Amino acid sequence: MEEDQTETKASRLPSMGKIINYKDFFGEYPIIFAIKIISSLSLIYVISEFYVYHNPMDSLLTKYLGNSLKGFDPKPDVFVPWGFTAGFLFYFFTIFKGKYKLFVFLLIIGTVGHYIAEPAINVERGEYIIPENVEIESGEANATQWKWKPIKLVYDDVGETYDRIDDISVRLTNAIFGSMPFLGAYGIWKRKGWAIGASIGLAIIIGFLYTPNLCLENFDEGYCGYDTKQDEKSWSEYLSSGIFIGLGFVIYIELSYAAIKYENYAEQFKPAGLDISLLTNAQRKSVSKTLRTLFVSYLVNLAVILFITFIIAEAVININNYVSTSDGQIQDSIELQGPYGIVFTSLIFFLLLGIIRMFIGPDNQMEET
Amino acid sequence: MWSKKAAAVAGGAIFLTLAGLIRLNYLFISAGLVMLTFVVISSFLDVWMPNVKIRRETTSDNIFEDGTMSVKFIIKNTGLGIGFVEIYDSLPPQARIIKGSNYTLLYMKPWQEVSFEYSLKLPLRGHYHLGPVKMRVKDAFDLFYNERLEESIHSFSVFPQVEVLEDQVITSRSPKLLSGAMPLNVIGTGTEFYSLREFVPGDSLRSVNWKALAKKGKMMVNETVREDVMDVILLVDAREVSAVGGGKDTPLEMSCRAAATYAKQLLDERNNVALMVYGDSINRVDLDRGEHHLFKILTALSSAKPQGNLKLELVMKDLLPHIPSGSPIILFSSLDDDHTISEAFTSTISRGFTITTISPSSLDFEERMKRIPVEPLLIAKIERDNMISELRSFGLQVGDWKYGDNVNTALQEI
Repeated sequence: MEEDQTETKASRLPSMGKIINYKDFFGEYPIIFAIKIISSLSLIYVISEFYVYHNPMDSLLTKYLGNSLKGFDPKPDVFVPWGFTAGFLFYFFTIFKGKYKLFVFLLIIGTVGHYIAEPAINVERGEYIIPENVEIESGEANATQWKWKPIKLVYDDVGETYDRIDDISVRLTNAIFGSMPFLGAYGIWKRKGWAIGASIGLAIIIGFLYTPNLCLENFDEGYCGYDTKQDEKSWSEYLSSGIFIGLGFVIYIELSYAAIKYENYAEQFKPAGLDISLLTNAQRKSVSKTLRTLFVSYLVNLAVILFITFIIAEAVININNYVSTSDGQIQDSIELQGPYGIVFTSLIFFLLLGIIRMFIGPDNQMEET
Repeated sequence: MWSKKAAAVAGGAIFLTLAGLIRLNYLFISAGLVMLTFVVISSFLDVWMPNVKIRRETTSDNIFEDGTMSVKFIIKNTGLGIGFVEIYDSLPPQARIIKGSNYTLLYMKPWQEVSFEYSLKLPLRGHYHLGPVKMRVKDAFDLFYNERLEESIHSFSVFPQVEVLEDQVITSRSPKLLSGAMPLNVIGTGTEFYSLREFVPGDSLRSVNWKALAKKGKMMVNETVREDVMDVILLVDAREVSAVGGGKDTPLEMSCRAAATYAKQLLDERNNVALMVYGDSINRVDLDRGEHHLFKILTALSSAKPQGNLKLELVMKDLLPHIPSGSPIILFSSLDDDHTISEAFTSTISRGFTITTISPSSLDFEERMKRIPVEPLLIAKIERDNMISELRSFGLQVGDWKYGDNVNTALQEI
């Protein structure tokens, strides 16, 4: 009978799975986790490279915010890694479950509140200990009495609090530039295509608001971080760096898209609405092997196509250079040496490729159903 | 063909290039041109279409309702094509995949053979097929694709579910030459006790009831029920009205399940069974016996579709001349929308046939789906009860089969 009454006591500590959805972070197959890490690295690279050519100090945002916001000083080596970290931490926050998510949220609010208020509400203790046994002057000698002294809150360092508030404001405005890596990191880890798309869209917008040497027109050299106007680069220099940025964006788009695609593909093998744990080891290994084969083939394809893309892009630019600088009627009649010339040459080249493509490949045979 | 992604990337690239022209931003122009080059180059990656041989290996050619079928899909590349291929094996809309996937994405190499497995469940009887196979060849980046429909079809049937009958209620009055397992209500050679009678010379001593001798003081012998084979006619109502309800819960589906159950039981007992399904015409499976005949009956039941509105009287007039006299007829019908029922039953009985009716109540389905207001439903139920009482008053056996009950429960009412 004793045995029947024995009960297994449940542990008071909740299991890790009940606090946080860690499986979402690691993914169900190591290859997908690896894809996410590679995508993240490519994101950091491409955004950092982007800001090498788009100095945030020359942005239209800096022109208007620089005067009104004290300490506004956007630096890519600060906001890119921090933007990415913030995006990743936001994703990490979303995988907490139920009440634990609320707890983490309150913890963040409390920590930030404490950070801001801490210098201002520092209590000065003075020389008394409260309560204290003090001598009574009017009474007998050595007569003492316990007395309560009023607690006095001294606003110790209000200035520091204001500084911290300003500092946070500056960090938040930096977040405008850091929103690209923020959204990208969130999109990659949370598998949100819209966030990845939005990060690319923001890059285009921020690039659009960039004007070389705009900072010097509005601020002094000390603020801008450079004293003289940068030498105007030749268009071929810009173009070759543009090719790398273009390739970087392609890598970022493709890898982040691949992370989503292959994760969705792995989902197909789960029993409907159930967990992967219901798959046998053999089934899991089979899916893992398929994913690995696909991803390796994918990477090989990507590397080959990027190489060809690089060669062709270089060729197009050089062809344009050759046509625009060689003697002939074309050079005299069309402005081939500027950006219009490059676009014109490229479009003709793509037109030719398009015509070749028309004659290659099978016709579409899918019946309309 | 262009995918949405290709359109988005190409659109973005053109936008970048034009925006670069407007702002005179070389970085935008070159980044746009790189992306455009990437798209154009990728368009050359989907130019092949593999030549493939497809075959499927299944655990069985036919399954019963709610049964599981495992499919191994094998595809072989018989050419030199190489690239990413998506393969989707089309399934009937009613099928539910319970294991594996009917879709795969693979990187196909020349002469490579690939297989994948899945199991599916079909809740409804009928004739189905797997396939055709949709193949989509695409580049690694999902920018362009080509599709092809591979006409590889694998047909199979889903038979109505068969239950195990607990009671044997069908009897015949016409003995046959061959003895079987069906009890006739006449004295003969069999195993089931019928009555006691006095011993007459010639009776076997084995049949003497010794307890009765001790009680009555004279020799008594046991008489048994004659067991014989029967010709049983299963008549299934597949008129349009039998599709009331939805999914598995329609009179026709219930009738098919009951008919399959009866057919299995009767054929197991070595009887001859015929099946008639009437709707817009009468489909017959003639009298026969054996395992193979069960397969024919189940196939015919799988084919039954609700259509037409042939009246029972007309069906009986057409049918009775071809049925051996005295054979029991089992009718599976909701008895709805047929004013000739009484006349049909009267003429059948008058010709010496016995008719048993198993009637799934279509009103239960309507009630469950809440299609009929309460009062009209109540009236319709009373009308149905009256009709069944009237039929029973003729001496007919009518089982009122309620929704959710199994066939055995309906039989107990008879």
